[in-house]
Amino acid sequence: MFIALLKKQMKILFRSPSEVFTLFVMPIVLILILSYALGSIMGGDSEMTTIEMAIIHHGDEQEQFRNVINDLPPNLVLDQQAIDNIENSLPVSLLFEELTTDKEMQNLIHVTQLEGKSLAEVKENGDYDVVVEIPQNFTKEFLQAKFFNQEKPAFNVYLNESEQITSTIVKDLVDYFQLQYTLQSELSENNIQINNTALPSAQINSTIRTVDSLEEVTSSVYYTFSMAVMFMLFVAGTLAGQSFIEKNTHIFDRILLARIHLGTYLLSIIVSSVVFTLLQVLVLFSFSYFVFHISFARWELFLLLTIVFSLVIGAIAALLSSINYRSNSAGASNLFSTAIVAILAFFGGSYFNISSLSPFLAKVGMWTPNGAALDGYLTIAQNGSLSDLLPNITILSFLAVLFMLLAFLLFPKRGGIV
Amino acid sequence: MIEVVNLSKNFKKVTAVDQVNLYIEPGEIVGLLGPNGAGKSTTIAMLSTLISPTEGDVLLNQKSILKNPSDLRGVLGVVPQEIALYQDLTARENLQFFGSIQKMAKQVLNKRIDIVLEQIGLQNEPKKLVKHYSGGMKRRLNIGVAMLHEPKYLIMDEPTVGIDPQSRNHILKTVKTLNENSNMAIIYTSHYMEEVEFLCNRIYIMDKGRIIASGTKEEIKAVLSSENTVHVKLEYHSKGFVNDLLEQPMLSNINAKEGEITFTVAKGMDFLPMLLSLCEKNNVILKSFQVEEPTLEDVFLHLTGRALRN
Repeated sequence: MFIALLKKQMKILFRSPSEVFTLFVMPIVLILILSYALGSIMGGDSEMTTIEMAIIHHGDEQEQFRNVINDLPPNLVLDQQAIDNIENSLPVSLLFEELTTDKEMQNLIHVTQLEGKSLAEVKENGDYDVVVEIPQNFTKEFLQAKFFNQEKPAFNVYLNESEQITSTIVKDLVDYFQLQYTLQSELSENNIQINNTALPSAQINSTIRTVDSLEEVTSSVYYTFSMAVMFMLFVAGTLAGQSFIEKNTHIFDRILLARIHLGTYLLSIIVSSVVFTLLQVLVLFSFSYFVFHISFARWELFLLLTIVFSLVIGAIAALLSSINYRSNSAGASNLFSTAIVAILAFFGGSYFNISSLSPFLAKVGMWTPNGAALDGYLTIAQNGSLSDLLPNITILSFLAVLFMLLAFLLFPKRGGIV
Repeated sequence: MIEVVNLSKNFKKVTAVDQVNLYIEPGEIVGLLGPNGAGKSTTIAMLSTLISPTEGDVLLNQKSILKNPSDLRGVLGVVPQEIALYQDLTARENLQFFGSIQKMAKQVLNKRIDIVLEQIGLQNEPKKLVKHYSGGMKRRLNIGVAMLHEPKYLIMDEPTVGIDPQSRNHILKTVKTLNENSNMAIIYTSHYMEEVEFLCNRIYIMDKGRIIASGTKEEIKAVLSSENTVHVKLEYHSKGFVNDLLEQPMLSNINAKEGEITFTVAKGMDFLPMLLSLCEKNNVILKSFQVEEPTLEDVFLHLTGRALRN
């Protein structure tokens, strides 16, 4: 009897050309388009555009350093070791060194030091994504602040807002540099050994992680998973819509009269959704495997995550069905398919990496079913382990249970004409 | 036996069904006759355990089924007014699905599907998707699904709405044969008087949520036993002629539709001279007239002052 409910559902879905197109063909088309169109800024299979940075320094740092040391009051005596330490950690030199000597940084940022040019001239020129302007007596004021507890000077960073992603990355880098430099200075002032303390290399805070332990993902990998999770959401709306047709045409009455328990009916919606999403994922992942050669070597983790996410989809389908039945309209499933999926896709990072806009939004996205699933897939693709996946599995399991409970609570207890 | 006792249903401030009482015994065909909006479908939905009544009870063999509808559902087959079928499945697939959820054994089900397809006249097109069927074929399959598991009671809610006369005749014959051969009790709701008159042993007439008459065909018609029904055909319709008829005290239940007029008149009353003089006065040519025993339609008109299909 339960099998009959599932078989019927599968036959109806596969006989609807528009549903098959939406759930199978559309995601494939979008994976293709987005992988190629946005490949240039995603890294991996194509290089990210190098960020052009200009540093305008209006003064001579060495000269300022020497002047400060020479002008120190007689009561402040420094030995040669201390003078060398200060000379080796002059802020402007250190910033330049940090940005130009690291190999990974060289791939990301191209730094040009400009002498004697005005800021207005450089900004007007428009060749640079980021301009860092160091004021005339920056190093001098910085050292004096250190010795005499005066107010610390600031340097200015100008970001080209039209290059949002690159600007965000550079802002992160500069913030990180300032933080680390301040930390190191404090350690030094408190006589804690700093000779062997290297400045940690900067990390880009992003959902497409480039953390050392994880591999980089390509745009085709990213969009295979982001489109898969987004289009899996549509399964919930589609199945809930179809279940409402059963109510509207009084087929549901016949199901009730056959003494099928309401719980069994809802469960059939959940299981149908799970089976359908598994088929959908199989098709989409097979496509990416053959076309983009994406590896699914760690298939057991992919399977685990897909099953848990499919359960969430099933639970959403059941919940939408319950709301449809209760409100006696297909409004809930229609709203879900036409608007809510788009919103979830935005927060979940299906269109682009949401953390490039705001880390807060990225955190919100992790609590969307598709966001948690996408992050999980990317973690596996970057060689993450089962323990790396646990937060995602936990969130998805929680959402599945929550939606299922709501679905069973909201489902009306009788059918018929109301 | 299924009994409905003082059944009422209110939807907010509207009373759709008001203190309805009826019963059906095994093997009989009972008609529920009434115009659209009379409350027939709501009564059927309560009787089928699909909605809860506001008041009253439904009994199966003198046992209330309101709290535990399962027993009644086990002996019921329901043909809803809507086409309750999957449009993207074939006739056979629909029957297979609905038979499976009735927990019919596979072999029994396959045998029953063949029998039912033949009974409803779809044996030659079982593999066509339902969406490609004509309206009449869909209606027939709608009935086939309900009788697949051989229920003791079959409830049919306006099963011939919107179909061609050929399919309608086929359905009526199928229902009659089903009742005669299998002793299946049938509740048949309709606003077509002639269908109910053809099929049913006992009839309930419903209007505005209430049962306004009940009994056998003969008992109901006896309401008008002292009267005859006269059908008059004119060459063309005349408003003045109808207005003059309405002023005649000896005539009642006057129903005029284009060139045809129906009224009732007391038996033995000589109405012909009056009719001819009114024709002359209004320059109307009388084509024919026919005096008949009253029909259920006449009874309904007599009881409510309205025609069934108005």
